[in-house]
Amino acid sequence: MTSLSVLRVLDLSEGVAGAYCTKLLAGFGADVIKIERPGGGDPVRRHGPFPDDLPHGEKGALFLYLNTGKKSITLDIAQRSGALLLLRLVEGAEVVVESFPPGWLTELGLGYGSLARIKPRLVMTSVTPFGQDGPYAGYRATNLTAFAAGGQMVVTGEPDREPLKNGGYQAEYQAGLHAFAATAVAAFSADATEVGQHIDIAAVECMATALEPYVSSWAHQRRDIGADRSADPRPQRRGDVEPAPAGLTLQDLLEAPQLRARGFFQEIDHPAAGRQTYPGPPFRPEAMPWQAARAPLLGEHNEEVYCEELELSRKELVILRASGVI
Amino acid sequence: MERLPLYGYRILDLTKGPTGRPTLGPGAGPYATRLLADMGAEVIEVEAPDNGGLRRSDTFNHVNRNKYACTMDLGQPRGRELFLRLVALSDVVIEDYRSEALEALGLSYDVLRSAKADIIVVSLSSHGRSGPEKGFVADGADIEALGGLTAVSGYLGGGPQKTGIAYADAVAGIAAAGAVALALWHRRRTGEGQHVDVAGWEAMVGLIGEHVVGYSMNRRLPQPVGNRHSSMAPHGCYPCAGAARSADLRPDDQWVTIAVEDDEQFAALCRAMVRPELAADARFADVVSRYRNQDELDGIVGEWTRQVEPQAVTQALQAAGIAAAPVLGVPALFDDAHLRARGFWESVSHPDAGTWDVDGVPWRLSRSPAHIRLPAPRFGEHNDYVLRGLLGLSEDEVRDLAGAGVIGGGPDPDVRA
Repeated sequence: MTSLSVLRVLDLSEGVAGAYCTKLLAGFGADVIKIERPGGGDPVRRHGPFPDDLPHGEKGALFLYLNTGKKSITLDIAQRSGALLLLRLVEGAEVVVESFPPGWLTELGLGYGSLARIKPRLVMTSVTPFGQDGPYAGYRATNLTAFAAGGQMVVTGEPDREPLKNGGYQAEYQAGLHAFAATAVAAFSADATEVGQHIDIAAVECMATALEPYVSSWAHQRRDIGADRSADPRPQRRGDVEPAPAGLTLQDLLEAPQLRARGFFQEIDHPAAGRQTYPGPPFRPEAMPWQAARAPLLGEHNEEVYCEELELSRKELVILRASGVI
Repeated sequence: MERLPLYGYRILDLTKGPTGRPTLGPGAGPYATRLLADMGAEVIEVEAPDNGGLRRSDTFNHVNRNKYACTMDLGQPRGRELFLRLVALSDVVIEDYRSEALEALGLSYDVLRSAKADIIVVSLSSHGRSGPEKGFVADGADIEALGGLTAVSGYLGGGPQKTGIAYADAVAGIAAAGAVALALWHRRRTGEGQHVDVAGWEAMVGLIGEHVVGYSMNRRLPQPVGNRHSSMAPHGCYPCAGAARSADLRPDDQWVTIAVEDDEQFAALCRAMVRPELAADARFADVVSRYRNQDELDGIVGEWTRQVEPQAVTQALQAAGIAAAPVLGVPALFDDAHLRARGFWESVSHPDAGTWDVDGVPWRLSRSPAHIRLPAPRFGEHNDYVLRGLLGLSEDEVRDLAGAGVIGGGPDPDVRA
């Protein structure tokens, strides 16, 4: 429990960016409900690695990491009865996070305008590769293509080879970290003013704001210093620590005395995936300690949310399940 | 237009501090306060009186828009006293000193709290404020390496690669901005301030968390996979036709990225390449086959893209429902139709440095859209506002402080941006 526990967050997003945003909110204490599509749930559940390399929807490392501390319910918001259930949940929520193709929620009658009519102080955060408007808003994208279009790929890699993506999902994580900070600012403001708003986070814009000094060099001098992947315009400062150019491996990282002394890595048990090691918080507010809790099983909190909170009967739940709404 | 969300909140910015280099990359703190200033906070940079010539640059002007600046020598008792009076009128202090350096100045968290009981203090560093290495300094590139990102990045079969930007600075900066928002929430709810410890190293590890959990599962070190993906193929960066982006470049340095998520998209790609027969080819019939025969497949895709310009490949594939995007450099981003249509680039005029376009605000808020309101402050530009306006000093007192070297004498006409 922290002072953030009164912040109810509905996470409709799929993929990495939105999930990382709500992971951080959950970690600092917010009450996050992940809303997954019935059947397979968030497609991230199918991403490896898995224990012993055996694919399993409850055991993927990416899903387990991104969804710590959240509840999971299943809901098909494309069905009318599903949409109505979502609207009931919005009444009790402060924040909605989503990552659908722009316009899709509006088609379902679930756009920001509709949700804000029910809950004027709602903060809705849309996190997508290209944002809610503009000529590429409808573009299909993945972490790779967003990374390329955000300007960070052309400066990564060797000059005589193709531009290179960084390891993992860095385009998505950057967008997710921005979405988290922006959501926190807007939620704080909505708490004070009782007026919410819609936040539009575009991964490509998040990436382009981190292109310093390339941007100011071009803006002021029309010099494209990042163009050929050979320049390293970063200041040649020497820290107290000079890790080998290869960097720490995961093994080195887990054994690093500084991080161990700070208790950064945490063991979290999970009924399907077992006890694994997870990174801790990205920052430490002394009055808001990090809540290290496991990722939910698919639909684990259906009864708690639908029956206890929304007061549906078990019979109604069975019908909803049979019709594929949950 | 409605008030910006952080309107009315005052943040004292000691990052890239007056008394020496920061404990992490120089971009982190100023990026954090840039994001907060964009959201309407009154960010006042507190600089040492002898600092001006060192700090004004293109990058300084880029990252310090929407902020104010004053000068104060925190090493002098009268400067310290002025600062504490200013703390009493503020909500947040953000700093990136070595962990003992603020204490040595007599400005520990406890002292700041005695000036303002509910003050929020955010301390940025590479290694954090506790642990055996708490005083260590590391900059952006080293933090990436420490954080494990370097070891999992690189070409397939090749060695580790760093990012092309000061990535850890940006990551720590965004995290710190989020920390300020949460601490403001907590203060509003409980009346309490707090001290927040932001370690750039830890924030960095958070962005490869799935690798940590994966290693915990199987104790196997992940190898760099280049531009490939474990469940999509083709998934890569392909050479294109077209003119060079600039005179320094090889004429063939034009690229497009393509990611094919399923069989249906692969069939559409084959039609776009005018090779429809490939969709039925046993080598590429399903994702597992495509993944196994990826070298061959990349060769085929590259043969096609080489004859087409990146934007044309992108448009053709997007029309077919396939994720594709050109690899854009900064000049292309400046001209990009999408970013221009969204108003991402904003013009800013600075009295010394002139008028230019820079990236605007990456967080688009529907009710209170934020923009660049002010150019970066000149050295000591807001001394009068801070000393006389906020602290209520008389003209004589200000003159006396300037004479004693406690504050600067105002904008130095020789210091040009």
